[in-house]
Amino acid sequence: MAYDYHAVHALDGTIGAIAERRANHLAVHRATAMAMVLASPGRVPEAAGILVANGDFEVRFSGPGEWLVLSEVHAPETLAAELGVRLGDAAFVIDQSHGRVALTLTGPDAARILANGVAVDLHADSFPVGRAANVLCHHISVNLARTSAQSFDLVVMRSFAEALVDDIKVMARSHDLSVDFATR
Amino acid sequence: MASLISCPHCGTRPKEEFAIRGDATPLRPSSMASDEAWHDYVHLRTNPRGRVREHWQHVAGCRRWLVVERDNLSHAVFSVTDAATEVDR
Repeated sequence: MAYDYHAVHALDGTIGAIAERRANHLAVHRATAMAMVLASPGRVPEAAGILVANGDFEVRFSGPGEWLVLSEVHAPETLAAELGVRLGDAAFVIDQSHGRVALTLTGPDAARILANGVAVDLHADSFPVGRAANVLCHHISVNLARTSAQSFDLVVMRSFAEALVDDIKVMARSHDLSVDFATR
Repeated sequence: MASLISCPHCGTRPKEEFAIRGDATPLRPSSMASDEAWHDYVHLRTNPRGRVREHWQHVAGCRRWLVVERDNLSHAVFSVTDAATEVDR
């Protein structure tokens, strides 16, 4: 018997009604290929080397020997398998494409908005482009990465996405912020 | 935020990101150790004032278990190390 499945985003119905773009913009990605990679004991440098050597993967620090890997080249359905083939038994791979939601905050006030809820120093000198960290944003744990001087990527557990977007709206109350899906 | 812990993996973070398990000094006895040794390990705790060693987990960060040496009166933090390095001690 064949079933038709309807993919629903965690934020469907809560954002996306108004198409507008203000100075600061929070874009919620509809589908991002993501996986957690945990290096096997004693094989951290080897796993890191394999991940970094390949330009298809965006590698973000999560913990010692543990990374959140995003990819724009690979589809959510194939990323984990691709990583599994490349890493072999150097690491364990867990697909997170449907478990987490990726958001991008862009704008001249991006760092100031985040500073209202995140307790790490986001100055470009101490949190440069390419740096990533697991941080607490109010009470929600997120993986925060700086992708350029004025843009940050946030990756959050799917079920916390709505609460995080609400929190960011509050954090941005004194700044000009619009929220929408990245692809309409 | 007054209470800052310098995680060896993540840098300086507020205590809200951590969960505290408690005293890090009792060492788990072997599985066949005497009932007295297990009773001591499970139930008996000193209640020191001043410098203590505790297990803290960085739940909102790297999720690693850390050993935090601090003063429980002034909350001055003396050292923070990954608990995995304690295994070799």
